Amino acid sequence: MSTKLPLSGIRVANFGWGWLGPVAGQTLSRLGAEVYKIESYVRVDINRTIPPFATGHEKDVNCSIQNHAAWSGNGSVTINLKKPEGQQLARELAGQCDLVLENFGPGVMNKLNLDYEQLKAINPNCLLISAPAAGLIGALKNIRTYGMSLSSITGLDSITGYKGGPPIPMENAYADPLGGIICAFAAVLALNYHKRNGGGQHIDLSQQEGVMQLMGPSFMDYEFNGRIAEPRSNLHPQDAAAPHGVFPCTGDDRWISIAVANDKEWAGLVSAMESPAWAVDGKFSSMDGRLENIDELHKNLSAWTGSKNDYALTELLQKAGVAAAPVLNIADLLSDPHYKARETFVEVEHPLGFKETVYGNYVKTHHADSPLATGPVMGQDNESVFKGLMKMPESQYEQLVADKVIF
Amino acid sequence: MAIAALKGVRVVELGEGVSAAFCSKMFGDYGAEIIKVEKPAVGDITRHWGPFPEDKPHPEKSGTFFTLNTNKQSVTLNLESAEGRELFISLIKTADVLIENNTPKQMKEWGLNYEALEKHAPNLIMISITPYGQTGPYANWKAYDLNAFHMTGAGSRYCGRQGEAPLEHGTHSADYYGAYVAATWGLASVFAQDEVGGEHIDVSCAESVAATFVGGQNIGGYAQDGVFGSRTGIGMPLAAPATILPCKDGHVWMLALETAQWRGLVNAMGNPEWAQLEMFDDMFTRAQNSDLIYTMMNEWTMAHTKQEIMDMCQDNNCPSTAVYNIQDAAEHQHMKDRNYVVELEHPLIGRVRDIGAPVRIPDCPGGPTTAAPLLGQDNDAVFLQRLSLSETEYQNLLSAGVI
Repeated sequence: MSTKLPLSGIRVANFGWGWLGPVAGQTLSRLGAEVYKIESYVRVDINRTIPPFATGHEKDVNCSIQNHAAWSGNGSVTINLKKPEGQQLARELAGQCDLVLENFGPGVMNKLNLDYEQLKAINPNCLLISAPAAGLIGALKNIRTYGMSLSSITGLDSITGYKGGPPIPMENAYADPLGGIICAFAAVLALNYHKRNGGGQHIDLSQQEGVMQLMGPSFMDYEFNGRIAEPRSNLHPQDAAAPHGVFPCTGDDRWISIAVANDKEWAGLVSAMESPAWAVDGKFSSMDGRLENIDELHKNLSAWTGSKNDYALTELLQKAGVAAAPVLNIADLLSDPHYKARETFVEVEHPLGFKETVYGNYVKTHHADSPLATGPVMGQDNESVFKGLMKMPESQYEQLVADKVIF
Repeated sequence: MAIAALKGVRVVELGEGVSAAFCSKMFGDYGAEIIKVEKPAVGDITRHWGPFPEDKPHPEKSGTFFTLNTNKQSVTLNLESAEGRELFISLIKTADVLIENNTPKQMKEWGLNYEALEKHAPNLIMISITPYGQTGPYANWKAYDLNAFHMTGAGSRYCGRQGEAPLEHGTHSADYYGAYVAATWGLASVFAQDEVGGEHIDVSCAESVAATFVGGQNIGGYAQDGVFGSRTGIGMPLAAPATILPCKDGHVWMLALETAQWRGLVNAMGNPEWAQLEMFDDMFTRAQNSDLIYTMMNEWTMAHTKQEIMDMCQDNNCPSTAVYNIQDAAEHQHMKDRNYVVELEHPLIGRVRDIGAPVRIPDCPGGPTTAAPLLGQDNDAVFLQRLSLSETEYQNLLSAGVI
């Protein structure tokens, strides 16, 4: 059986920036592709400046350990795209790649002379994936968002919050890593297209449309019944389970999630609670009754969980056939036995002489493991790409470095 | 018109709920043939979830089932019976891809785990999407989307007020996320199947979110420095404005970080005197005075609609956005310009709109073209033609409740 990764031999020029673009490149790299992020000291990518930095490397753009997990797997070449010679160089590099990724606003690639027509003139098989916030066409095409607020134009923020209250923001950009994965999905889809049809394609991927898939069930309720979904705490999105929520446990900010989808699971929960009077009350015996009285149900359940340890209670409830799990915080991610067993987070040795923790192979495959990398150092692949892949003579390379074209 | 990107790819889905169904939908949107295997008489659990037209429950009219199962065929098989499992294996022998979301224990009990199926179909790409994955101490825990989501740190770190319960989005957020991951890995394996052969792809919804979302910007710093943050309910506590504020007809995501964005916002607000202070040019200083700033901004936002605020801000290079509800988002002119929403014909529901494909390829756009299947509607075609059962065998299996 082969141990080859599915995208080995595929080369990617990644003009993506921020969080989304590099995650797209990382995803393809973990599938075996050779990925080069194109960036420059002329305007350092904002995510390289996010603290904390590796100890002793404060404000070093190669040492934002906060960001490295999200970027690892991307190579890096530095090209100054403000100069025509830089644009020429980038076109030539893109011409030697199977896939080109970018997540600028519409029109930026044109200004850089890196638009699809120019790329296709060099490589007729160019597969360009453009992933702006709301796509390349349409009334909102020029909208400016951060990943954190992108979800607000999909409807996702409007259904997040406590029941009866205002929308509460997810305090980081869920839409960014998810969008990066969707961008990688678009890229492998394009490869499948190419395999069947040959030739190039320019894919207009709207981040908004990708993330809005999560609104499918809410859309159907609007379509069928004109109902507009609102924040609903942790209740089941279609009211198909009760109890369904997060309940307090002992300790500072400790919680357990519990979801009961049928009467058999409810019986398990009741027996785990040792059948308190309130729980054997007739009004909670059917799903309809539990849904109808869910506030009271959750209040009673909270009173019971409140004196228990989250992990111990999870064990008890799992034994009773109830879907329960501890609610983890950041520290728990590194100590939880499940993530440890799956090597979700791993320590790697950075070439600049420090150790950093990144996420490992969060997707496991039977036949081949993906390579793990550190966050890329700016320009780490300049020599191999320009002198090796592009066969640039040493003298020309030195000149372009001196002219700050390779920069 | 070019050949669809996944034309000829034969997928079998053995899924319940959201994750497997959405993953195989991502194949079906681009031309793969999807056979969904459901429990006889009952079908996929989402058939019972709704929403239903006029809120009247009907197993063929669930909106959640509909949107997750366009472009699919449906067959029924009872996997509790030996004949049912044999038929399933026959079906797998005619397939390229299996997408499933059962517990590893269940698949093994059925004799349908990868090691077993690989013997029958060495080139099979099996995609397993479960809350916690195929290995590790929680692999066989009973779990739903909510449990998986809160195992990621996302709620505790990023969503909800201090002292109150951590929150998930009001949708099956971890399931969708894991399904997108699985579809990406799956399509890569399909691309390389001729050369590389079969594969078992093990996706944990919890692990996908924990790694790429939460781990992506927390784990490096925590591992080194041992400190971590948790939710505030505000937005971005260290910079301002970065929060959701109420306005005349809903809410707006007020965001202005760089100085130019702040100046743009001040301009959009009509240059009020309070905002002229030079110290407010710094986003961190603004955050230290966020109570004041949010109160003053709120006076302005309450006087305008979400769309007005978004337009005024965007015109001034400030990236604030309206918090669209599902109606705002789906009915927006932008979506019409892009033909995002599609219309399909369902035999019992009639004409119904659905969300379109997330990615469109210009030469063969893809997207939903046929409505979600009725339970078992393709039994005849699949069992009689594709698996070549005789009419007698077929009738016997039907009356025995295997099909």
